[in-house]
Amino acid sequence: MNFTRPITRRESIKKLAVISGGVALSGAAQLPLPTLAESNRFIVEGIGQTEGYAVKDLTRKVFEEAGGIKQFISKGDVVVVKPNISWARQPQFAATTHPEVLETVIELCRDAGAKKVRIVDHTIHDARRCFAISGAGKIAKKTGADLVYPRESLMRGMNIRGDRLDVWPVFVPTIEADKLINLPVAKHHSLTTLTLGMKNWIGSVGGSRWSLHQDIHQTIVDLAQFFKPTVTMIDAIRIMTRNGPSGGSASDVAVKNTLILSDDPVAADAKAALIFNRKPNSLGFIRLAQKHGLGTYDFEKLNQKKVTV
Amino acid sequence: MKARHLVWLRRISQTFFFLLFMFLLIESRLPQDIYLDYSTAFSTDADLRLDRPVTFFFKLNPLVGLSSLLSGHVLMEGFLWTLAIIILSVLLGRVFCGFICPFGTLHHFVSWIRPALKGKRLIEANEKKPSQKVKYFLFILLIVCASIGLNLTGLLDPISFLFRSVALAVIPGLGVGIRFVFDFLAQSDIKILNLLSYGAEVFVSPVFGYDFQAFQTAWFIGLLFLVVLFLNRIRPRFWCRILCPLGALLGISSRFTVLKLEKYDDKCTQCMKCTQNCQGAACPRPGQDWETAECLVCFNCFNICPEDALSFKFIRSPKLGKRANIGRRAVLTGLVGGISFPLLGKLDGQIHKVSDPRLIRPPGALNEAEFLTLCQRCGLCMKVCPTNVINPTLSEAGMAGFWTPRLIMTQGYCEYTCTLCGSVCPTGAIKKITAKEKIETPVKIGSAYLDRGRCLPWSGNTPCIVCQEHCPTSPKAIYLRKEVMLNPDGKKMEVQLPFVDLKKCIGCGICETKCPVRGKPAILTIAAGESRSLKNQILL
Repeated sequence: MNFTRPITRRESIKKLAVISGGVALSGAAQLPLPTLAESNRFIVEGIGQTEGYAVKDLTRKVFEEAGGIKQFISKGDVVVVKPNISWARQPQFAATTHPEVLETVIELCRDAGAKKVRIVDHTIHDARRCFAISGAGKIAKKTGADLVYPRESLMRGMNIRGDRLDVWPVFVPTIEADKLINLPVAKHHSLTTLTLGMKNWIGSVGGSRWSLHQDIHQTIVDLAQFFKPTVTMIDAIRIMTRNGPSGGSASDVAVKNTLILSDDPVAADAKAALIFNRKPNSLGFIRLAQKHGLGTYDFEKLNQKKVTV
Repeated sequence: MKARHLVWLRRISQTFFFLLFMFLLIESRLPQDIYLDYSTAFSTDADLRLDRPVTFFFKLNPLVGLSSLLSGHVLMEGFLWTLAIIILSVLLGRVFCGFICPFGTLHHFVSWIRPALKGKRLIEANEKKPSQKVKYFLFILLIVCASIGLNLTGLLDPISFLFRSVALAVIPGLGVGIRFVFDFLAQSDIKILNLLSYGAEVFVSPVFGYDFQAFQTAWFIGLLFLVVLFLNRIRPRFWCRILCPLGALLGISSRFTVLKLEKYDDKCTQCMKCTQNCQGAACPRPGQDWETAECLVCFNCFNICPEDALSFKFIRSPKLGKRANIGRRAVLTGLVGGISFPLLGKLDGQIHKVSDPRLIRPPGALNEAEFLTLCQRCGLCMKVCPTNVINPTLSEAGMAGFWTPRLIMTQGYCEYTCTLCGSVCPTGAIKKITAKEKIETPVKIGSAYLDRGRCLPWSGNTPCIVCQEHCPTSPKAIYLRKEVMLNPDGKKMEVQLPFVDLKKCIGCGICETKCPVRGKPAILTIAAGESRSLKNQILL
């Protein structure tokens, strides 16, 4: 296995920006990366209020409210969408990302002129069964998106440069992209209380993932600072309130008809935590992520928008 | 029809059925692109199923059909195919062996491509031998065994033998080798070789799988396969002549055949070419008595004879074909063995005393006594299992259950909504169940217990909830309790301790698979509590 980290397109662009912008702070990597001013960031909450509303309409509206998909996706981009389709469960059990949300996001990327859209998840259950049962397979066929079969040969040791993780096998197709869209489903989790956007990145690494749980909040933050999505959209159309993250019973599911879209991964998670009646700062990984400068859980500071269907 | 045409017809038929067999064998898996054509996402009661008739050759097989009938009193699904083959053999002799059987084709091919014997030695090897009675002995042994309730047929049945060998040893073995080459290419600094290795994966993975497959005892399965192939150097189609119990069954039923070898003694010049090319050592030479039961109907003698002294003809005469040369000794020893084995097989106490805790059967498996009447040990369930959890046993099921399926949870786990193994079992030793039945009954295959000494939170080492997180039942069979433990430095540490609720646990083993303590996990699955056994229950 090769332990050197290949330079991704994203990185080379960033490097170029650093050089041309003259950010010459030595040891910048150790400091929180200078991010966009918080007021420039946005968070959109979309709620489906009318009976029988279409999830697809809601998804589209939410992106429109955020300024349209073209804000994020440019013509010719290779876009990676990272849903949570880790469990071989049917969509109604809220263990996986809502298929219609996934489908709409791919369609939007296509509309914006994306060259290629790829669905990527290193599943927990057998990938073939996950793809078939979660609906992701059918969507891939319908939209023409690539669906990557996760396998050992696509895991590559890379330097995560985290506090806890250094070299760890990364599911390569996730990072070989121009744009990365995080598309998790909001669920209960026994260790982290909730699994939202940032925890979704555990589905983009390989190796002995089971040992990440020994310092879960720090490892989530380590991964979140490595995978920086263009936007995060949290699916809370229906959420899993207990027996997470696998669920499997209709009684574990609550219908919330909500979508959250943000370019601040911490704010997105914070907003989603409120749906479960949890204070954002009561969750370890959210607190820690803010401390590491990945974003803010005080989403009041962001450009807040709301849209209903 | 001319002899030459008949031989070509045979070759085409052999090639076709051999390729069909291999195709169906490779298709005995969830295809990688199943997601493109199939989705159960929006229909609640559909289960993932294979759309190829992967059990076709088992349905054709009269030995599997007969032994299931005698042993498990089950008329196999698709028994009309079996009936068709029996009728075919009664009318035309062992055409199944000559035209259809993929294992026979393989032996034929191996004997023909590089014959170890030539000239006089080959003629000598193709003369009828007393050892050809061995197959009748084996057939009688297996059938008597089966009638008494121990179905060992699959160990020697040619279709099961070939399927098991190719699916569990040949393909995974080649897979290891091919992957080794690709890994080597992928590590290379030469870009073209890198690309080559990625490209090749597209063609290789659909057959060999994306991951390394592992099957316990596969080395022995593969070794036996090599030995059986090697025997062709001693005599052409050694297996078909001397060992094959299915050949024996078809030989016995071929007595009434109307397709007969006519010999014209006056034309014969004793050139011996017929004997030299005979596949079954069936005495084709004029002057000898043609052995109907040994003839594999390959038409070689008919084709090769330069003097037209031999001819296959449809003759409807009251005179029956020659009786299969079984011999009293084969019958007697077959009977003795057939009665002894089922009794000896019970002496390990697996059925009457207590069964091995490691013997976790696939979901839907019949209770042990019935299971052993039907399981062919063909390896279809093992090939098809998406997590590679189903493995052939060595001693876990006793010698009576050698090579029957068993779940090894450190290698994989039984996926909660998957019922693929039962859907392909050719004899019904594993029942066809739906995911709904599996969950709602529930079908328990065992139960999990914690080993607190190795468990990370229980031993005060570090927090961990991996077993509970993966537990698929709702509500979860593994639950957590918050507790303060002392860590190795003596400091207080808040952890969540896992417990198993035996009422809810179904024994799927995903907790064992995913436990961070590898090799011998801190949570283990044993067969106790399996719903297929009335005796093996833990709770009232």
